[in-house]
Amino acid sequence: MSTLPLAERAQQFSPTAIVLRSLVVGLTLVTATIHAQLGGLLFLANAIGYTTLALAMVAPGPIGQVRWLVRIGLIGFAAATIGGWLLFGARFPLAYVDKAVEVVLIAVVAVELWRSDGGPLGVVRQARGLVARLAGRLTGTQAARAPR
Amino acid sequence: MTRSILGRTLLLLASGVLVACTSATGAGGSPPLAPSGGAVITAQGIAFDRQQLEVPAGRPFQLLFENREGAPHNVTIYDEAGPPLFVGEIFGGPGSRTYDVPAIPAGAYRFRCDVHPEMAGTVTAR
Repeated sequence: MSTLPLAERAQQFSPTAIVLRSLVVGLTLVTATIHAQLGGLLFLANAIGYTTLALAMVAPGPIGQVRWLVRIGLIGFAAATIGGWLLFGARFPLAYVDKAVEVVLIAVVAVELWRSDGGPLGVVRQARGLVARLAGRLTGTQAARAPR
Repeated sequence: MTRSILGRTLLLLASGVLVACTSATGAGGSPPLAPSGGAVITAQGIAFDRQQLEVPAGRPFQLLFENREGAPHNVTIYDEAGPPLFVGEIFGGPGSRTYDVPAIPAGAYRFRCDVHPEMAGTVTAR
């Protein structure tokens, strides 16, 4: 039984949502593969990071409740990778192809974020909700541990 | 159903990434011969086969670079201060390029791979 709200579950399986999600996962795995082929620890770590995020984009269960956080993480990871390349990276054809893939990836994830999470304001709302839940859990634990 | 297809596709692509990770290295072999009056260097296992290169000073020379693996590499020669003296073409292997390096004054310089800066060494022009 999914823990997602009914409205989100319905939206999750619309054709547009499936196309968007497939694009996100596909583009993420394309850039992961490119980085894996470059060799070296840094690129391998980058490939593992992208693969993990691709898995987190489709993993069922509780992670579905914080998919917005995965999307933010993916946008941040891709942006950091582009930034690192602009600052230190080598310029050669495959690098330009990869950066184009990452720019498109950021755009597609942003569209998905807008549709599924209601844009930046929606993300802020969900972040506040998450913080409140975590704080509630923490205070609940502390209350349970407190001497009576 | 949709989730199942998506999951299988993802698994297939993820295994492709793993295969790519393990296929970056190429076959070994004896080092190639240096061009007359030039130098030779080989890349394999995300490393150069030497950390020291000796090249002639004050005249153009050829640098034979053999890349023995799929990962892209090149050789760039640079002075610590200032722009690179020579930037070799980046290419994926297995393959080789004979770089035509312009004359560089006598002295010690650094060389490296621009894609993997940890692959580096010293060039002595004399």
